[in-house]
Amino acid sequence: MLLSSRILICARKSMTILLMIALLLYMVGAFYSIIILATKSKHAGRGLIALVGAGFIAHTAAIGIDWSRLGHFPIVNPKEVSSFIAWAIVAYYLVMSLRYHVRALPTIILPLVFVFTLISLLLPDPAQSLPLMLEGAITANVVTQIIFPAHVTLVIFSYAAFIVTFVCGVMYLIQEHELKAKHFGAAFQRLPALNTCDEIGYRSLSIGFVLLTLGVVTGIVWNNQRDGRYWHNDPKEVMALVTWMIYLFIMHYRLTAGWRGRRVALLSIVGFVVVLLTWLGARALGGYHVFG
Amino acid sequence: MIADMSIVLVGVSHKTAAVEIRERLAFVETHIHDALHQLVDRELISEGLIVSTCNRVEVIVATPKQNEAEAAISQVYDFLHRYHSCDSHLLRKHCYHHSDSSAIKHVFRVTSSLDSMVVGEPQITGQVKEAFQRAQEADSVGHSLTRLMNRAFVVAKRVRNETGIGSSAVSISFVAVELAKKVFETLKGTTVMLIGAGEMAELAARHLLNYGASRILIVNRTYENAKHLADEMKGEPVHFEEFEKRMPEAEIVICSTGAPHYLVNHDQVRGALDTRRNRPMMFIDISVPRNIDPAISNLDNAFVFDVDDLESIAEANRSEREREALRAEAIIETEVEHFTAALAEGDLNAVIGAFRREVSSMTFAELDRSRKRLGSLSEDQEEALRVMLNAIVNKFTQPVIKQLRESDDGHSPYLEAWREMYHHKDKE
Repeated sequence: MLLSSRILICARKSMTILLMIALLLYMVGAFYSIIILATKSKHAGRGLIALVGAGFIAHTAAIGIDWSRLGHFPIVNPKEVSSFIAWAIVAYYLVMSLRYHVRALPTIILPLVFVFTLISLLLPDPAQSLPLMLEGAITANVVTQIIFPAHVTLVIFSYAAFIVTFVCGVMYLIQEHELKAKHFGAAFQRLPALNTCDEIGYRSLSIGFVLLTLGVVTGIVWNNQRDGRYWHNDPKEVMALVTWMIYLFIMHYRLTAGWRGRRVALLSIVGFVVVLLTWLGARALGGYHVFG
Repeated sequence: MIADMSIVLVGVSHKTAAVEIRERLAFVETHIHDALHQLVDRELISEGLIVSTCNRVEVIVATPKQNEAEAAISQVYDFLHRYHSCDSHLLRKHCYHHSDSSAIKHVFRVTSSLDSMVVGEPQITGQVKEAFQRAQEADSVGHSLTRLMNRAFVVAKRVRNETGIGSSAVSISFVAVELAKKVFETLKGTTVMLIGAGEMAELAARHLLNYGASRILIVNRTYENAKHLADEMKGEPVHFEEFEKRMPEAEIVICSTGAPHYLVNHDQVRGALDTRRNRPMMFIDISVPRNIDPAISNLDNAFVFDVDDLESIAEANRSEREREALRAEAIIETEVEHFTAALAEGDLNAVIGAFRREVSSMTFAELDRSRKRLGSLSEDQEEALRVMLNAIVNKFTQPVIKQLRESDDGHSPYLEAWREMYHHKDKE
């Protein structure tokens, strides 16, 4: 007993250290990407990708250790969710950077990643590793063991994709304003082309939409597994449905009426505001879906 | 200070001479091998390289003797004088010359496009590379110039990558390309529609094609003119009556006609955007009075720029470039320092190496001579002797090497003496 508790403390410590390493690397990466953008240096972001990649590995290890230490998938409280969303954004960014090289993107995204990781480090450990209402629910049977992590992972990855869509939407609007107002300042030179903002934004939106759809479906299945009810009319469930419908709306008009550019950028921003409300606001409204 | 050789440069550029002089000194590409051979056949000149463009002629040579830079410069002047049958007073009046670190700096600056008429224009680096290739083919460059030029290309790349010197367009037609890239990201696959035949519009269209636009539609009131220009630019002529119908095919519409009213109006573009399912369109109006209704700008996904917009960007970019040029100069300064230091360092190491080898071979030669009297030695004894002799060599050479390194300011007579004694000997 003594030995195993010692191992647990040790694991807890190494997890914190790994997360701190990741935080440090993300911070250096964020500064580096700002410098790249500010000096208009043409140095490709290979160094940046290496930095962030190293941070990602440390971060992955931290999450892995947490998982085995706690014995359940570690995204059940705000501390863990903050860390996981940062991790998901980095994962998404790294995959995306295989195809797109947009300098402005890491400059906006990495500080965000840094903040999420920092929040996770600063938040105190919850008294219980598993919230009361999840007690037993996750480990009840094989289906719930799989379906709960799947639900949360899918939803959080869809949020990561929507963050990118949101950032692209904002970049689009700023760049469009520069072009229309004929104000060719710092933003004009540093932000990507309109078509690039539109393309990355829309791709991310499609990916996010698919992930969110699967996330909602797994959520419903899990609900049913737990208490036999598919839907609780919980604020978070309702908001998630609204989010889903907004993105469905954008996709629909993109495909049928060729909506793009400014209109899609604006709608993406609206969609993301609702995502934030779903994620953070539903907590304030209470309801049963409060964890995370 | 460069070891056994000096680098010397004589040149003429747009800064020192008018085109009448420059064209007289230019080298014809087909005769460049011949010229290079004549150059390196001269006394004091062991390696040579000639860069000849419409804005400059640079003759870069390496001379194998030290402290002969002045004489080598005279040789180059004489070469130019004879080769071009050009008055030598005139040459001295319009040409500049540099030697050693100042020559290295000039080569770095020229290659990095800091000495260009349009600072930062990218062609010059390629032209210098080509000149270097010609010289390699003619076998007129050796170790020294190869080392210099390779460094110059690295420096040029650094300047390009680390400063914004070449990143902004400074002429109207390039600004059009830059703007198009901010809308479409890449010009690949785009179609350009050129309405009218203004010179500036035509130039802009050509630039767009050079930067990847894949198709050009040419509209003119006189179909014959359109056809003529289309033949020349490998484009497609379009009847004036049809331009509205064809407009949805184009991503970029450039207009430059003498018409006193708008040719492209709001409704036409709205229709075109509908047909294009809102894929963006860009309009460049180079005509005065304007031919494209500026109100088109109010439509989503349509972007209109007139000649004043383009000119204001070009102007802003020009001053930006001047600021970046200062940063580039700083890079060049440090690179010149490093390069000269590396050359001197290489030289010092060669002298030290030669000195050590010399002393060591003397010592072991003595051992061989004494072998008979020593009789047969066991392996251990042999090893002990070797260790001892090596220790003596080290003990003897170390203070000298230390002294050499400390006194290495490049001009030390002490170093000169050692070089005379050992470095040359080593080569023989």
